[in-house]
Amino acid sequence: MEYFIYSLSLLVIYVGLAQLMHVQFGLLGIPNFGVVGFWGAGMYLTGVFNVSLNMPILLSILAATAIVSLVAWALGRMILDRSGQAILCATLAFSSIIGVLVISEKWLTNGVRGLGTIRYPFASSDFAELGFAIFILSVVIAIFYVSIRLRDSRLGRVLLSIRDNEELAASLGKDTSGTKRLIFALTCGVMAFLGGLSAPLKQFLVPYLLSPTVTFTVWIALVLGGKGHSFGSIVGVVLTVGMFDILIETYLPLPPEYAATIQNLKLFFYGFLLVAVIMFRPAGFLGAGRMGAKPKHATSTTKQEAAS
Amino acid sequence: MRLTATSLSKAYHGHVVVDIPNVSFGTHGLEGLIGPNGAGKSTLMGLLTRRIAPTSGEIALENEAGTHELNALQSHDVARIGLIKTNQRIQGFDGLSIRDNLALSATSSDREGLSSIFDRTRDAEDIEARVAALLEQFSFADPDGSAKSGGEKKLLDILRCLVAQPTMLLMDEPTAGLPDDITQSVMELVRKKVDAGEMSVVIVEHDLPMIWKYCDYVHFLSEGQMLFEGTPDDVRENRVVAEKYMGV
Amino acid sequence: MQIAFDSVFIGLLEASPLILAAMGFTLIYYLNGFINIAYAESITMGAYAAILFNVVIGMNFYMAIIPAALASGTMSVAVYLLIFKPAMDRGVQPTEMIILSVGVSFMLRHALVLLVGADNRYLVEPEIKYLSFLGQGATNLQLTALVLVALIALALSWMIYRTSLGERMRGLANNPELAAASGINPHRTSVAIWFIAGSAGGLSGVFTGVFSAVTPMMGWNTILIVIMVTIIAGIGSVRGAVLASIAAGVLTAFITLVTKPLYAEAVLLILFIGILSFRKGRMA
Repeated sequence: MEYFIYSLSLLVIYVGLAQLMHVQFGLLGIPNFGVVGFWGAGMYLTGVFNVSLNMPILLSILAATAIVSLVAWALGRMILDRSGQAILCATLAFSSIIGVLVISEKWLTNGVRGLGTIRYPFASSDFAELGFAIFILSVVIAIFYVSIRLRDSRLGRVLLSIRDNEELAASLGKDTSGTKRLIFALTCGVMAFLGGLSAPLKQFLVPYLLSPTVTFTVWIALVLGGKGHSFGSIVGVVLTVGMFDILIETYLPLPPEYAATIQNLKLFFYGFLLVAVIMFRPAGFLGAGRMGAKPKHATSTTKQEAAS
Repeated sequence: MRLTATSLSKAYHGHVVVDIPNVSFGTHGLEGLIGPNGAGKSTLMGLLTRRIAPTSGEIALENEAGTHELNALQSHDVARIGLIKTNQRIQGFDGLSIRDNLALSATSSDREGLSSIFDRTRDAEDIEARVAALLEQFSFADPDGSAKSGGEKKLLDILRCLVAQPTMLLMDEPTAGLPDDITQSVMELVRKKVDAGEMSVVIVEHDLPMIWKYCDYVHFLSEGQMLFEGTPDDVRENRVVAEKYMGV
Repeated sequence: MQIAFDSVFIGLLEASPLILAAMGFTLIYYLNGFINIAYAESITMGAYAAILFNVVIGMNFYMAIIPAALASGTMSVAVYLLIFKPAMDRGVQPTEMIILSVGVSFMLRHALVLLVGADNRYLVEPEIKYLSFLGQGATNLQLTALVLVALIALALSWMIYRTSLGERMRGLANNPELAAASGINPHRTSVAIWFIAGSAGGLSGVFTGVFSAVTPMMGWNTILIVIMVTIIAGIGSVRGAVLASIAAGVLTAFITLVTKPLYAEAVLLILFIGILSFRKGRMA
């Protein structure tokens, strides 16, 4: 039961990360390949604040989120006006830098020996674990609520216009650079927040947690479900993390010596899926989603026509 | 409304494409810019909206709010002070419906902040009305879908600029790719807005009959230089224009 | 002064695998215009093929280099024909092509681990002698590697700048339609380039592996530096790739000497982001 709650919480965090990538890449067209960097920086900073500075866990998470947002804003200022290829390389490089710093700055992170223990908020309560899982779930539901509202909002329309033709959007008076920086900093901040929430789940932080596999899994989920669809991330994560990390690991009675094989088989399969989807179904399983908010407008036109 | 360029020049690899000591647009209502192929018309348009960086020279826009030096501005700021240009090449936002294309352009940026995420309705009534009025005047196959044909895309490009209510509109070959009847409706709408004092317009065109028909004033550009300007009749009768352009 | 001299010397020795990888990578980027992250696996593949021929079959290390390079080149062509070419024919955009190549990279890497396991492997080196060279200590293996890399790099430059294959490649990269119209067979040229690029990557893997260990992550760990070197050099500039690789090697050696190796990687990556930020043109 305990392990099941842990796996499910992690799955929900992956859904949240994929949904944030839906905003960044699906709506705004920013190919952020440094997800693990933002998430991991949030997780490690939370750990450092909580363990080394004895700050309360929730405060640690908020402080980590604020710092990572600022860093993302600065990084965004440097690279967001470059091509998708350049952004992809730069964000990937950013996550590698975080990976290196976590190992090299032993005085802060305790290096490979690990940083811990990070406890749940209200750890003394009997329901700390379940309560925390519900808290994570509500955070991710909030991410969904905001991202779906965003998609249908005036700001969301600006994001889509930047994704489709940035120069044209700017020529109509939209501050494309500023908008990209703002959304990038905020969404990367929320990735860090999810990283902070992962810290008590992991309890003990080791550099190994910051493997490129995290970024890769999020991207598989995003591409698989459909980068432009509001619910693509759920479908994508359930088909990947849900299938492998929960169903197979929890319910398939495999001897422990196969654990590594399953991991490799999983990543091989992820790679295969990613290739297949990009080649044969680029819009993902759910497709691109609807175009704008048709019904609302349709009714308003009918009203206009009726009036005239 | 006055758009002036001083000592404006643009050279590519030492080859001078535009070299204009002084020119101003916007004081004569609906103005035309004509010239032979390769005269530098599109380059000049690009320079005037700051989409192309000049080799040298200043461009300034004067309106009720004061004088703006364009060189210091980013391209979205240029649009925000009321200077907008239609595109010669077909462009658009493929992910947005025609209605959203227009509403996007009609909405001012201060209504597109983070707080707009939580607004209950997407567009204010005045915006919806402006968009609906345009869509009533110009029909699209499916206003709630994307623009289908090249003609629809071209028309949408022009309407997107008009609905933004610029004070100065530059139109780069608006008739290319549009059916004649639609060109005519577009030009009549433009004429109406100019007459109402809502905006000044500069049209770059090869279609001379259209220039003679709608323009109040015409500039003639050849080999990167402004050679002549005047009323359509003056320009038509000018010997330089006749020699350089109409091959008479 | 001594530290500068040491940096240059060590940097040159350590840059040799990077030079080969950067030359190969830049060929593909120049020809097809997308960043091929799966090139990492060409590097890894070369090293593992060398393990096969050198350790499993028992060939002499220097002899094993040749089939290892051929194997890596063959894999590169197979991946091109099975995945990248069909994808480009379907009109997949450059950004999606990179994502696709990351997928290919994971697929190949984990297929490899499933086949041979994740443990470190070690090549059987020929007898090691320590030599003194300009007051510096180096092994005969290091110096041989450096000479071999220099020869291969020269051959590659000659191929690109002096042969008709190089000319066809440049034609194809600059204007595919014109090239096709003037009778260049784009298919054969591309296959040749992907083969050469893959082989160069494989050789890079062999020379990386012989000085440390052969691991499944070795290609992935160097690919960002390879991309960085290529971009600094200017797209398609093979000579530039050589110079930038040497610069990166020297810088790495210098930072390693004054601080610790991990900082060298961090500094290079920060530099990379800075360069991406300022550089315009094809990557802008």
